[in-house]
Amino acid sequence: MKKLRQNSGIKRRVLIVDDELVNREILGNILSTVYEVEYADNGKIALDMLSRTGAAYSLVLLDLLMPVMDGFEFLKKRETNDKLKRIPVIVMTSEKESEVRSLELGAADFIKKPYDMPEVVIARCNRIVELFEDKNLIRHTERDQVSELYTKDYFFEYIRQIELWGNDISRDALVFDIDQFHLINEFCGRPFGDLMLSKIGKALQKELPAMNAIACRANADTFYVFATHQDDYSKLQATLRSVITDVFKMNNVRIRYGLWENVSRDVEIEAWFDRAKTACNLNRGDFTKSFAVYNNELHARHVFEETLIRDLPDAIEHKDLKVFYQPKYNIAGNEPRLTSAEALVRWIHPKLGFINPGDFIPLFESNGLIQKVDNFVWNEVAVQIRKWKDTYGFAIPVSVNVSRIDILDPKLESKLEGLLEENKLSPNEYMLEITESAYSENMTRLIEIVENLRKKGFRIEMDDFGAGYSSLNMITTLPIDILKIDMSFVRNMEKSERDQKLVELVVDIAKFLNVPTVAEGVETQSQLDTLKKMGCEIIQGYYFSKPVPPADFVPFIEKELERRKVGK
Amino acid sequence: MITVEKLNNFGANTAEGLARCFGNEALYLKLVATIPNEANFGKLKDAIEGKNLKDAFEAAHALKGVLGNLSLTPIYTPIVEITELLRSNTDMDYKSLLGTILEKKDELSRLCAD
Repeated sequence: MKKLRQNSGIKRRVLIVDDELVNREILGNILSTVYEVEYADNGKIALDMLSRTGAAYSLVLLDLLMPVMDGFEFLKKRETNDKLKRIPVIVMTSEKESEVRSLELGAADFIKKPYDMPEVVIARCNRIVELFEDKNLIRHTERDQVSELYTKDYFFEYIRQIELWGNDISRDALVFDIDQFHLINEFCGRPFGDLMLSKIGKALQKELPAMNAIACRANADTFYVFATHQDDYSKLQATLRSVITDVFKMNNVRIRYGLWENVSRDVEIEAWFDRAKTACNLNRGDFTKSFAVYNNELHARHVFEETLIRDLPDAIEHKDLKVFYQPKYNIAGNEPRLTSAEALVRWIHPKLGFINPGDFIPLFESNGLIQKVDNFVWNEVAVQIRKWKDTYGFAIPVSVNVSRIDILDPKLESKLEGLLEENKLSPNEYMLEITESAYSENMTRLIEIVENLRKKGFRIEMDDFGAGYSSLNMITTLPIDILKIDMSFVRNMEKSERDQKLVELVVDIAKFLNVPTVAEGVETQSQLDTLKKMGCEIIQGYYFSKPVPPADFVPFIEKELERRKVGK
Repeated sequence: MITVEKLNNFGANTAEGLARCFGNEALYLKLVATIPNEANFGKLKDAIEGKNLKDAFEAAHALKGVLGNLSLTPIYTPIVEITELLRSNTDMDYKSLLGTILEKKDELSRLCAD
């Protein structure tokens, strides 16, 4: 930076304000070796010169006792003008008292009369010019253009500075964002969205001094606040709420807050806000809540999730992830027959023991790690089908889950084909389950991929059907081979007429599409009978078996083998 | 015409004054030559005679800056003295101190005129 400044060849302009010719000339002679020098006889002329449009000065050297307008008056006027305040002033004085007074009035430094040796005067001027240029540079880069709050990097840097001198003070990390802000941008346009962020930034800025706080816009619609501990944030909430309701007249837009009170200095600064953000995200989808506090329970959850994320690679490498198989039976004939199985992942953690899939699957779905889990399962399953085929002479087709994120993987097809090739399996022995909600999210892309997979011989099951939001029109155009009824409908169908009707409807749709239906979650004989009456052909659930490890699945295959042998 | 030699004989610290002018002798002598016409001497005299200590202080203060920068020690020294006395509003007879100042100023004027 310094080099650039020195080598730039630009001669910066300085203004010497003094009524005494001798002083002006001596100082001008010194400074003209480095700067372009202009002169003013008194404060008033100086103000006029500095206020001219296009005027650019790097420094003002100011005498104090002058006719018309003295130096003190000049400093007072300068303080009220934002443009002038950015030009540093060095006061020339021989009085001790004046030194203090001028510094208080905003002077950057002073030069004593009689002047020091010229080299000293120049060095002092250069230092102040440099300091102010850096300061102005920071001023331009430390603020986010839209909200006028700090940018994230400066925000964290200022916190580090604050913490250097006050890390024994209780402080809070507060994060807030605007729920569904992308929809505001989409429906009202980006300029409208930016205006909202700008108004929120301004309103927040006004609240900061009372909380002894600083704030930044961390990204898009997410704001971070670092405040001295507050018992109550309701005033801030009310102020920001009124921006949305009063300024923008929008009553359905919600600001969600997450707070970590009394941050712990044992944790990195960035993590304070990660935790507050974790709390903030808890409000997602729950419209009755908009303020969540990071607490021990959340902390435990956070640590648990971090552990799972950290340990996943080991779990894959050491095969702590296990694939369990749940049989699917065809009940069309007199006796149920094993037709296939669904592969389900389980995690036996070396320290934490059995981990509920409900704990890690949604977590990995949200951060994309599910892809690693899926790839692991796909591979294990292909190997297992091959083993059974070699042992028993026939293949038990197994279906695997394909998550949303897998669909976006450009290598999806080649991965699956590679597995089949490696294990010498045909695509109809390996089925793919895709949830209905994935279909409705990215339909065009998904249909294209699914069609390619089907052309290659894979069979596609639409999972959790009925729980998503597919339109009837969409369903009829979907490339699928099997419809799988959402487990919750099957479980409730005997208690709720509505759920029973829904199951019937799904079975009818499947008939219309000429594809079989699978009912999951079947636990009782009466559920099975009801489904059979409706025309549902394939049943999966505890009625037949819970998901079991490969060794425990063998009896199902052996029984089926027996039946085949006796020609049933 | 004033010269560095004459100023040395007068008692000025020309080495310091010239250094302050980055060694530019012509500039230094040009500025010294403005001192005999410096209006603040007249203002100082009038104000003291009229017992207006505030105006007298302002004139002395201005002279102190100028003479200090030129290192014209023989006038600068009594000017510093009178400035401090006037700053503290000292009630005294300033005539003798003023006399010294004006005498030294006249001496410089003669050197410049020669």
